[in-house]
Amino acid sequence: MAETKVIMPQMGESIFEGTLTKWLKKPGDKVERDEALFEISTDKVDSEIPSPAAGILQEVLVKEGQTVQINTVVAIIGDGSAKTSSKPAPEEKTEAAPSAAQPASVPPAVAAAAEPPTPEAESGRVPNSPLVRRIAKEHGIDLDALAGKGTGINGRVTKADILAFVESGGEKGGTKKTATPAPAPIAFTGEVERVAMTPMRKSIAEHMMASRRTSAHVTTFFEVDCSRIMKGREKLKAEFERAGVHLTITPFFVQAVVRALRKFPIVNASLDGDTIVYKRDINIGIAVSLDGGLIVPVVRNAAEKNLQGLAHAINDLGERARTKKLLPEEVKDGTFTITNPGVYGALTGTPIINQPQLAIMGMGGIKKRAVVIDDAIAIRPIIVLSLSFDHRLIDGALADQFMAEVQQQLESWQG
Amino acid sequence: MALTTYVEAIRQGISEEMERDDNVFVLGEDVGIYGGAFKATAGLLEKFGETRVIDTPISESAIVGAAIGAALMGLRPIAEMQFADFISCAFDQIVNFAAKCRYRWGAGIPIVVRAPSGGGIHGGPFHSQNPEMHFVHTPGLKVVCPSTAYDAKGLLKAAIRDPDPVIFFEHKFLYRWPRAKEELPSDDYIVPIGKAALRRTGSEISIVTYGAMVYVALDAATELAKEGIDVEVLDLRSLLPFDKEAVLESVKKTNKVILLHEDTRTGGFAGELAALISEEAFDYLDGPIRRITAPDTPVPFSPPMEEFFLPKISDVLRVTRELHAY
Amino acid sequence: MTKTVDPHILAMAQRPALPPRETQLKILYYMKVVRELENRIERKLYRQGKILGGVYVGRGQEAIAVGSCIDLRADDVVCPSHRDMGAFLIRGMSLRTIFAQYMGRKTGATKGKDSNMHMGSLEHNLIAFISMLGDNVPVAAGIGLSFKMRGQDRVVVCSFGDGATSRGDWHEGLNMASVLKCPVVFICNNNQYAYSTPLERQMAVENVADRAPAYGMPGEIVDGNDVIAVWNASQRAIDYARSGNGPSLIECKTFRMTGHSAHDDASYVPQELFEYWETRDPIRRLERTLVQQNMLSDAVIAEMEKGINAEIDEAIAIAEKDPYPEPEDCLRDVYFEEQ
Repeated sequence: MAETKVIMPQMGESIFEGTLTKWLKKPGDKVERDEALFEISTDKVDSEIPSPAAGILQEVLVKEGQTVQINTVVAIIGDGSAKTSSKPAPEEKTEAAPSAAQPASVPPAVAAAAEPPTPEAESGRVPNSPLVRRIAKEHGIDLDALAGKGTGINGRVTKADILAFVESGGEKGGTKKTATPAPAPIAFTGEVERVAMTPMRKSIAEHMMASRRTSAHVTTFFEVDCSRIMKGREKLKAEFERAGVHLTITPFFVQAVVRALRKFPIVNASLDGDTIVYKRDINIGIAVSLDGGLIVPVVRNAAEKNLQGLAHAINDLGERARTKKLLPEEVKDGTFTITNPGVYGALTGTPIINQPQLAIMGMGGIKKRAVVIDDAIAIRPIIVLSLSFDHRLIDGALADQFMAEVQQQLESWQG
Repeated sequence: MALTTYVEAIRQGISEEMERDDNVFVLGEDVGIYGGAFKATAGLLEKFGETRVIDTPISESAIVGAAIGAALMGLRPIAEMQFADFISCAFDQIVNFAAKCRYRWGAGIPIVVRAPSGGGIHGGPFHSQNPEMHFVHTPGLKVVCPSTAYDAKGLLKAAIRDPDPVIFFEHKFLYRWPRAKEELPSDDYIVPIGKAALRRTGSEISIVTYGAMVYVALDAATELAKEGIDVEVLDLRSLLPFDKEAVLESVKKTNKVILLHEDTRTGGFAGELAALISEEAFDYLDGPIRRITAPDTPVPFSPPMEEFFLPKISDVLRVTRELHAY
Repeated sequence: MTKTVDPHILAMAQRPALPPRETQLKILYYMKVVRELENRIERKLYRQGKILGGVYVGRGQEAIAVGSCIDLRADDVVCPSHRDMGAFLIRGMSLRTIFAQYMGRKTGATKGKDSNMHMGSLEHNLIAFISMLGDNVPVAAGIGLSFKMRGQDRVVVCSFGDGATSRGDWHEGLNMASVLKCPVVFICNNNQYAYSTPLERQMAVENVADRAPAYGMPGEIVDGNDVIAVWNASQRAIDYARSGNGPSLIECKTFRMTGHSAHDDASYVPQELFEYWETRDPIRRLERTLVQQNMLSDAVIAEMEKGINAEIDEAIAIAEKDPYPEPEDCLRDVYFEEQ
């Protein structure tokens, strides 16, 4: 015969514990089935408890006077082969009864018509409905680009908007969507060849026009003496090479821009409707020329990188841009862009702002020039930097102060 | 063929079932000699005799209890509550006895409890209620709410033939309302319990509703069509079980849904549907789920207040336009 | 206001006042099975933790269910209450099914869906009552109504306690049965306590049967601990109903010899009452009478008890090993399911 566990029974639905008041048998005693074995006391009743099995009372686990929870094993009945022992049961903690719930005060009858919900624009973003998100996901559409430009309330992108966007084959760079009728083809004289625009070209075209329509473009120009940074480059080139980083002159400009943006945070901001959005992170986009177009990979958190870190990031992004290995998040979230009109020899340029940023800096070619220093003529490598800025938010004075800071950083570079 | 009223359709349904099956009988207050407070059982006493058309004392609980007892012995009783408001007097027998017999001891209770529900007839708090949710909340029961004469007859027949207890809410406003009249087929037919009916197909907004509100929804849809808003109207017809597939299909098609019922707001069926839609069609929603219901008050009597209370076409127009613009 | 005594009643009154010996021994047997069965349930299995939930026994009231149901036809219907264990056994429910029911097993009368004596079986014409006591009264009226409608001479015996007669459904049901002249025998097990509420706090009339004329039906009071008296009154009421005269109400005066349930020690009951009613124990009374009339001996009694214990031991042994229902069985049979 196997061992039988004797338990504290539940004498009533709301009873959760019982006190064992008296053992009527001791370990080693023979017990008949249904013979009275012990006595208990509960909130409702005192009772004699019969043995559930016949055998020898092998082990008593709960002492007289002890209160335990229902279903606790109080004793073991065996067939006499095992040694008898008496072990005190571990202290049973009883659970506190849940306190009665406080009745809630009843509000007055709710009118049937509640205020109609409108899509809330928090921090400049109208949330996208589940349907729109799903359709966007299915088609790989970046909803950020369409944000606020839908035909729903507060510019919400509606089902109709997203479906129309899908239809038009759009990728990045959303536009205010209404199906405009295609303009009548222009009649050119002479032999012409008509070639359709590639999607990237179309996207760039739309983005450029949109930017022009959005920002109040003004450009300011600064001449900067690059001798210090070029000397610095010479000094560090070998050391960086040993670390596997090819050092060009670009990181020096990025570093100077980052320091200036720290001093003039509005240049790092955006304008959303009537709200100025200051961004904590400084993410510098570096425009890379590609076959038939351009792409702007972004050095994220540029302020946290030292010169070597910047150089490494710029090289890596540039390389992968040219080999088309950039990830989608690497061309997003830029706060300021640097472009290089001087790469093919231009003196300077008047770049178009990369929306939704507020400014873009163009780097002309570095040329040795005769300049006047302390009333003497010297030969210095000079670059013309251009800053196109959005005059809606940035006035000329501030733009010039910003550029003066960039110039200062570059011309007094020490590390 | 003539148009049949909603109440006449019910009367026909009872009569035809009593002809078809000797076990079917009627009991309730004033159902015999008087033919029922709304004449839903007129002529049945003469046709079938007092053994099968029983005038009872005013004892809703005993009416349902006796129906349960008779059903246990194989009969098919149709118990009438004179107004749905009085069904609360039989609440215990319905939810504790009838609803739980099969679950507990395998004994099915094939009773039908008919209850004239709804307002718009200046009935005040005790003659206008829509108490369906007390029973939708009780597993073991079935609950139906037809909105047309055809459905009233077909669903009543289905209810009488159903092996489980069915609470049959007939909207009293529709009893003799001309717009609820329909031409009925002469042959036997049933409308299955648990299937909705698409009353109007549309592509932009779904209105899911039942009972007398179906007509409010349809009238609103006609009006909105003139503004270029294309509305779909789904008539649930049954609340327990209800046609989940039809509801989800409609929402997935239009992506915007309004839930409309005459019952009060809190704990009304719209809340149940809204939760279901959110759980199972979330990615298809292009706007918030909207509810149009009566406010959380008893049904008032005085006409300006009752008009305020009952959902009406102006409510549907307003909410639909808002949702459409979202 | 007195009702004119139907000639049928007079004829019934001329029936022998005693059932045949066969029947009396059967009555004794059933009362003793009920007593032992309920002892095992309440004093053993429940205290051993083998039965969970609530346990309500009818100790001391065995004569009422047994006396009223022993001579029913198989096609008569019984609507018992919670202290009518005898009704279940007489109608054919097995001991094993009953123990399995109490222990929540799949083989119990409700397959674990409900507890203790919430048992029913259409096959045995036994209607499962619900915890809302008194609800079975209108249901019994409806059952009787169905017999009338079909021209059947079946009757329904409907049992309830003193407490249940305070419920609205009780009054509605008695009234309905009387107005519609349904063949129902209403049996009140007046054990004088409803939980801790004594009779004088339950009703303003002295006897439950005092209400019978209010509902236009004959009422009778009997000694609920005299099983022969119960049998006698029941037979007359059953014949009355079967002959188409409608319902009647029999109040059986008895006493609840336990607490309301297994966890109630009934300390609110004056001890003298227990002592008084102990001397009027229905089982010992019948034994004494039968022995005096040489229809029974101590040896036969001992033999009977031995057999009863063996039956019960066996039933418990089997039921204890019966399986519990599957957890997902919770979802079954809410509605009609195609087999």
